[in-house]
Amino acid sequence: MSIWNYVVTAHKPTNVTHSCVGNFTSPQDLNLILAKCTRIEIHLLTAQGLQSILDVPLYGRIATLELFRPHGETQDFLFIATERYKFCVLQWDTEKSELVTRSMGDVSDRIGRPTDNGQIGIIDPDCRLIGLHLYDGLFKVIPFDNKGQLKEAFNIRLEELQVLDIKFLYGCPKPTIVVLYQDNKDARHVKTYEVALKDKDFVEGPWSQNSLDNGADLLIPVPPPLCGVLIIGEETIVYCSANGFKAIPIRAAITKAYGRVDPDGSRYLLGDHTGLLSLLVITHEKEKVTGLKIEPLGETSIASTISYLDNAFVYIGSSYGDSQLIKLNLQPDPKGSYVEVLERYVNLGPIVDFCVVDLERQGQGQVVTCSGAYKDGSLRVVRNGIGINEQASVELQGIKGMWSLRSSTDDPFDTFLVVSFISETRILAMNLEDELEETEIEGFCSQVQTLFCHDAVHNQLVQVTSNSVRLVSSSTRELLNEWHAPSDYSVNVATANATQVLLATGGGHLVYLEIGDGILQEVKHAQLEYEISCLDINPIGENPNQSQLAAVGMWTDISVRLFSLPELNLITKEHLGGEIIPRSVLLCAFEGISYLLCALGDGHLLNFMLNTSTGELTDRKKVSLGTQPITLRTFSSKNTTHVFAASDRPTVIYSSNKKLLYSNVNLKEVSHMCPFNSAAFPDSLAIAKEGELTIGTIDDIQKLHIRTIPLGEHARRICHQEQTRTFAICSLKYNSASAEESEMHFVRLLDDQTFDFISVYPLDTYEYGCFIISCSFSDDNNVYYCVGTAYVLPEENEPTKGRILVFSVEEGKLQLVAEKETKGAVYCLNAFNGKLLAAINQKIQLYKWVLREDGTRELQSECGHHGHILALYVQTRGDFIVVGDLMKSISLLIYKHEEGAIEERARDYNANWMSAVEILDDDVYLGAENSFNLFTVRKNSEGATDEERGRLEVAGEYHLGEFINRFRHGSLVMRLPDSDVGQIPTVIFGTINGVIGVIASLPHEQYVFLEKLQSNLRKVIKGVGGLSHEQWRSFNNEKKTVEARNFLDGDLIESFLDLKRSKMDEISKAMEVSVEELAKRVEELTRLH
Amino acid sequence: MDTWKNIKDRESGKLRPNSFANRIKSNRISQLELSNHKELVSPHKGSINSLQIDLTEGRYLLSAASDASVAVYDVHRPSDFNGDGLITKHNCLFFVDKQHQLAHKYAVSSAIWYPIDTGLFITGSYDHHVNVWDTNTTQVVVNFKMPGKVYKTAMSTLSTSHTLIAAGTEDVQVRLCDIASGAFAHTLSGHRDGVMTVEWSASSEWVLITGGCDGAIRFWDIRRAGCFQVLNQSQTQLGRRPPLLKRSVLTKESNTKMRPVQKKVANGSGSGHLPIGRLSSKGPMKQKLHPGMISTQDRATAHYGAVTGLKVTEDGMYLLSAGSDSRLRLWDVESGCDTLVNFETVRLQTSKPIQLATTQDSTVVFVPCMRVVKAFDMWSGNARTILRGHYESVNSCWFNQQDQELYTGGNDRQILVWSPARSIADEMGEGDPDDQDSWSN
Repeated sequence: MSIWNYVVTAHKPTNVTHSCVGNFTSPQDLNLILAKCTRIEIHLLTAQGLQSILDVPLYGRIATLELFRPHGETQDFLFIATERYKFCVLQWDTEKSELVTRSMGDVSDRIGRPTDNGQIGIIDPDCRLIGLHLYDGLFKVIPFDNKGQLKEAFNIRLEELQVLDIKFLYGCPKPTIVVLYQDNKDARHVKTYEVALKDKDFVEGPWSQNSLDNGADLLIPVPPPLCGVLIIGEETIVYCSANGFKAIPIRAAITKAYGRVDPDGSRYLLGDHTGLLSLLVITHEKEKVTGLKIEPLGETSIASTISYLDNAFVYIGSSYGDSQLIKLNLQPDPKGSYVEVLERYVNLGPIVDFCVVDLERQGQGQVVTCSGAYKDGSLRVVRNGIGINEQASVELQGIKGMWSLRSSTDDPFDTFLVVSFISETRILAMNLEDELEETEIEGFCSQVQTLFCHDAVHNQLVQVTSNSVRLVSSSTRELLNEWHAPSDYSVNVATANATQVLLATGGGHLVYLEIGDGILQEVKHAQLEYEISCLDINPIGENPNQSQLAAVGMWTDISVRLFSLPELNLITKEHLGGEIIPRSVLLCAFEGISYLLCALGDGHLLNFMLNTSTGELTDRKKVSLGTQPITLRTFSSKNTTHVFAASDRPTVIYSSNKKLLYSNVNLKEVSHMCPFNSAAFPDSLAIAKEGELTIGTIDDIQKLHIRTIPLGEHARRICHQEQTRTFAICSLKYNSASAEESEMHFVRLLDDQTFDFISVYPLDTYEYGCFIISCSFSDDNNVYYCVGTAYVLPEENEPTKGRILVFSVEEGKLQLVAEKETKGAVYCLNAFNGKLLAAINQKIQLYKWVLREDGTRELQSECGHHGHILALYVQTRGDFIVVGDLMKSISLLIYKHEEGAIEERARDYNANWMSAVEILDDDVYLGAENSFNLFTVRKNSEGATDEERGRLEVAGEYHLGEFINRFRHGSLVMRLPDSDVGQIPTVIFGTINGVIGVIASLPHEQYVFLEKLQSNLRKVIKGVGGLSHEQWRSFNNEKKTVEARNFLDGDLIESFLDLKRSKMDEISKAMEVSVEELAKRVEELTRLH
Repeated sequence: MDTWKNIKDRESGKLRPNSFANRIKSNRISQLELSNHKELVSPHKGSINSLQIDLTEGRYLLSAASDASVAVYDVHRPSDFNGDGLITKHNCLFFVDKQHQLAHKYAVSSAIWYPIDTGLFITGSYDHHVNVWDTNTTQVVVNFKMPGKVYKTAMSTLSTSHTLIAAGTEDVQVRLCDIASGAFAHTLSGHRDGVMTVEWSASSEWVLITGGCDGAIRFWDIRRAGCFQVLNQSQTQLGRRPPLLKRSVLTKESNTKMRPVQKKVANGSGSGHLPIGRLSSKGPMKQKLHPGMISTQDRATAHYGAVTGLKVTEDGMYLLSAGSDSRLRLWDVESGCDTLVNFETVRLQTSKPIQLATTQDSTVVFVPCMRVVKAFDMWSGNARTILRGHYESVNSCWFNQQDQELYTGGNDRQILVWSPARSIADEMGEGDPDDQDSWSN
């Protein structure tokens, strides 16, 4: 049963909804604060650009974000209100570098209807009160006392029914608001009110202005000395105050965002719906406004928020495209633009549709999203894990080890690649043609397997074989010195660095050698009680050529030991537990922290924090990387050291925010890896896998990789066709040239490798592409793209006509094979029992694919089912059809073959307004609804009565806080059938804010365990602003609020790994499970995304 | 605007989900017509006096009629189909009439669901009784004897701490019947004539509003003695807010600039029905002087003649009243002032209580006006639509917020369903032989 679900974010929200600038983290710091719907980011403006200070989740959807400075304070406070009527005031604690909640509260009311135009939250410029417009007809006031503390809130009746904007006016003796509203004849006006705090009422304000531009939508209060307000319309901009009125016409535009440039308020940046950035200047003589001027500056992403930072640097936050850091130049570029984009910040939102594909056919899912809107529309290829971009490869079987060597100590590049086999060693080198060819190093022994190789000081090379250690000159390539193993012992394992060699022979002998100029010297010998399985002397101290410590893994007692060098004194012994021997140990340092990594023969990895002076090992953690023995190796990428763990599930271990992270490499199985930084292949890795030696570069080390394919138009639906290796999309292009909003719709075919448009089918005038699938039919071997459309006529309420178009791909071209007219919009299509199932307005309609006498084919309707308001989302499984209705939740239909009829089986009688549905298993269906909730319903076939059987029972409820447009089965990570998480079914979702999330259906036992962990975490992790996690996750819509059930918040659970040790201990105690076990179980979950 | 575009704008984040839902709802409401796909089969042999959908699932309709009968229907799950399966027929799930040993003896004037679940419902009858029924067994579990004909019963939907039924009867006193104890909790005295209509506040579980045959609308806080507010038809919102002292120069329009509602006064004064003194604005005046309210206030009336219907808007901020003077008034609850919305002249039933209905967004009010139901725009008072279908006077309306369907019942013993228009073209299939086969089997 898939009713126990775990919801986790794979890609955080990137839609920037709010931004503000101020001195938040210290009186001297200039901060940019961003809200990305449910997250807050604090950045510091530095000479190098924006530096991130904090990125935290908030238990609420941010409705307003404002900085303010109470009297007597030297830095700003942050006011946040959420859509579920909570507010908080946050302050920065400089010492602890964290947010402190100054005050918080609830501003919900029993009376009033939630505003249609969004919540408004404003702060009086003189800090006398906070004003909130949350419900139609009510203005809530939270007054400040003299000390800047908030007092009890009260409501004032606001008779204007359709409020569009409210702002506080500057420079008023009493707090005064200006209200932009629409009357019931659709005319727009502004008026002012003074807030009488004592009487808790309004007094009619000093001025008003009637009959404005019909598109007036935004107020900009102007600070002293000018004061007054700017009213931004679609065709005019008006300046208005008690003693002045100025207006200018503008080019028709819908202004979406503004940012004030000067503290005196004489210049403003305006961003419109086409992404045009303009500068608005208020010309004035002293305090008298003489006119307005507007000048276009250039194009940016379509702005949802604009923050002027400093020195002509501007942050453009966007909901429809990437956010940007721009610079405004004094002189225009050749294209006449003053805008220079300095940096882009990826935004996947709005994800309108996506598909999961495996383009490389490696079992690694990738998500291709339809992202952005209008001109900023794009496709984004989102891939988890680190890719290797293959540069060269040769077939080579049976590789047992690989090392790269330089031709001299100062050479920045590697020249030789030593490849070891069971009974020989071969040496490859780059020749003059930059090709890899076999060469020889005379001083090396090539008839036996090499155990280890390394560059050594004084232009020397070291080779360790089973019976000797050879020191070779890298210039003459001749043997300089050799150390022989005692005749009755052979060397089993060895390691070396530039000045040291450590090796182990049978019988538990540990031998330490030092490398001099032309000489190898045995310095120390130790006899251990058991055989040695692995060794490492990677220098992590101050001297990059020499190590003070040696790490040794042991057979029999399954331990890892640390010895001092050169004394070979035992410092630490750590028993690993279990029966699996350590196969690889590694000393390494990330971000100034030293670690000891120890890989076991069963694919587990242990890591310890290492105190390099005392040799003490702490913070033991265990993770499972794969199932086969692991070999650990360090490598560098972009001047940072990482660790490559070669196994059946190759992984890169890296550190971020002083926490070790594991990111899988998109390769199936890697037996050995070594860095190979040659002149021809800089920064490359040599990788031995599946009978092949590959040289390739590695992606940036991060978890998700996003590739952007800008379209310049808005893609709405996407699907992939494996057989033709193409994508097809339904897209639309806005014609912004004319004032009337006109759109052109297309079906486009794209190559799935290059993402080039290879074919296009333009739809008719007024015809919109609604849905696209790739499918095949019974008795026909071809695959087709089926497109559902609607004719959206201006005079019609609901489309009464549409088409289903069937295309085949022939020689890279879309060929229309058949078309069928429908009596409404085709909202959804599904391949169903070798037929085509369409959702057309209120109806579900099944079409069969019929061969006509002339050999052509056509769609013929077979049967249908009525009784929906609008069947928007449909999924099928076997003969079952699950319908997500516009407003009537989920219903379950069944197709009866014998009768050729579709009948309703059951429905959920709740009034959920659906946004997506998916089938989790035969009995459990997943839905997302209009108020940002997730829920599951369960079929009740065993019900005693018709009534019970006819009802889909609600099984789980959860507030996600994100609007989901699409679910798809699939996974972003490589699924290994033999790992635990490989068995967990997952569904991916995409949201308006650009979130990609995963819903995993857990076994009951695991769910119960994690639920307990979650409730313990709730006690330990306090929400920002004191907001409650339990309330945040409670299912909430206009009808009801109920506690979340049968869904777990994976983001909260996985934040266990970020906790301080003391907090982990606290939870471990409450759970009665060791920290190590908890960390292991949580880390396994992080593998789901 | 068209549905399709709204869906497209919602998915790209251009249209907020709640605005999306509100737009679709109001669009559907504007298309209400006699349903071409749903039929409620009324078993009643007398006029329908009361209709209500349950508040938990929005699925079960309770009706009460003058033949002393009560019935319940499932409005979602049809019992039968008509006309090639395109019309759903909803027979009643159960029916209680005089055959039932515990049934009322005379007309049932009011039937309401217990607000918490559908396990109980409450009926009030001209036989002087208020009965509480167990829905599953159709047995009376509690019964209250009243001093006269019961006109109206009501329970607070907000209540978390009381289970009181407010009952308006022929008697001047309003009684609160406690289901938990089976006894009268208390009586509210103040009306000078019978009480035709009672309505609980939508913002406080302690506030009850009653409308009497004496023309008064009284507000009671049931925790305190006496009523705390009596609505006065001569007290209007005009000039409620003092203007700022004339220290700043006003733009010249701002004196003539008025809120839209004020213009209505000018229009309305031409209708000739206005009582004298209606325009006499008394300026700002807080009227919260209870309990020792001065007698002139206590004698204030909201209507000339009886108050026949009351309805609080869903947002709890306004109260609609209907009177036997054939007037509809919209009151601002907080200030107790008449908002002066001038509803187009209507003719209302005078002898019986009428049941009004409003939409969730408080933009439309459905009013039984003799044989038709008029849908008024709440803020302009204009009649948007006239719903014609009943052959005799309509007594009650219930608007199903969840499905945007209106149910009306009248003296013609019918319950009619009014739903957003559905395109028949689509329903009739495509004239395709295959298509028809599947349904005529």
